Amino acid sequence: MKMLSMAAALAVAMALPAAAQDVSTAPPGGDYQKVSELVKLPDFIPGLGDLYVNPDTLPAGPFLAYDRDGQLVSTIYMVPIADLEEGKTFDDLAVPGGQVDHVDIYYNAGHPGVEKPHAHVVLWHVDDEARVAAE
Amino acid sequence: MNTTRRHVLRAGGGLLLAGLAPALVTARAAAEVRIEMKGNESGSLVWFEPIGVQVSPGTTVRWLNLDPINSHTATAYHPDNDGKPRRIPDKARPWHSDYLLPNEEFSVTLDVPGVYDYFCVPHELAGMVGRIVVGNVQDADWQYSDIANDGIPEVALMAFPSVTDILASGTVHFDPASGAGHGGHDTK
Repeated sequence: MKMLSMAAALAVAMALPAAAQDVSTAPPGGDYQKVSELVKLPDFIPGLGDLYVNPDTLPAGPFLAYDRDGQLVSTIYMVPIADLEEGKTFDDLAVPGGQVDHVDIYYNAGHPGVEKPHAHVVLWHVDDEARVAAE
Repeated sequence: MNTTRRHVLRAGGGLLLAGLAPALVTARAAAEVRIEMKGNESGSLVWFEPIGVQVSPGTTVRWLNLDPINSHTATAYHPDNDGKPRRIPDKARPWHSDYLLPNEEFSVTLDVPGVYDYFCVPHELAGMVGRIVVGNVQDADWQYSDIANDGIPEVALMAFPSVTDILASGTVHFDPASGAGHGGHDTK
């Protein structure tokens, strides 16, 4: 019986995903790199924050956005409109930031790193978007 | 980001040494003309302001990035710039500002009369282009061949203000409603 319990516990443990990387504070570490060090963009982008991304996941991301205190405020996906029109899908995108308070979706004309006009899908982890507003 | 980077280049001549003239409003006889790189708060709209301007030969054109959330370039349509078609006068030297962060600027002095078309590298697909007419050009100076449109997105071709409008008023402002210069849908 004891053997059976241990086997059951092991099976449950193996079924769980590996411990999620803590990305709640900047820098998030792992494969994430600071966007302003990858392309020529401001360190802190008013309305978005301080961005990090794993370059292998471009263009969609996720991008992780932090406020001036280094606290995670949102997870952003950048989805080129032309890709959607051509039938491309963006599946199984990672959601590393935890609980979502609300979501904003809006058009962006492009910027270094994601030059194609695209949609920003912003998963806000905080209710106060002013934390990344212009000073 | 408050750092200011200054680049000065002379199209059709050597390097300009100073580039320290005060900013002036756009005017045909001005020694320097300022073109602002702008964007709205969400980043959904980006543009050059003015989008079209007529200047005298020898005028220094200064681009200043006033978009707080984005970087921009001022890049001449020319084969030297990523194989783009030539849309500047034959004898003029092409330019590329490289990426300008907010409050950074770049200048070029235009000596050769003619029509100069330029674009923003990360925003060409969003139609962020501009046109400068140097001197009082004749039609023959700005009627490009069809090749001059190759590889340019339709949204950019539609955004150019017409040479006629630029010559008529001297300055054509960006129209947020149409994404182009006022009255301008001239692809030549």
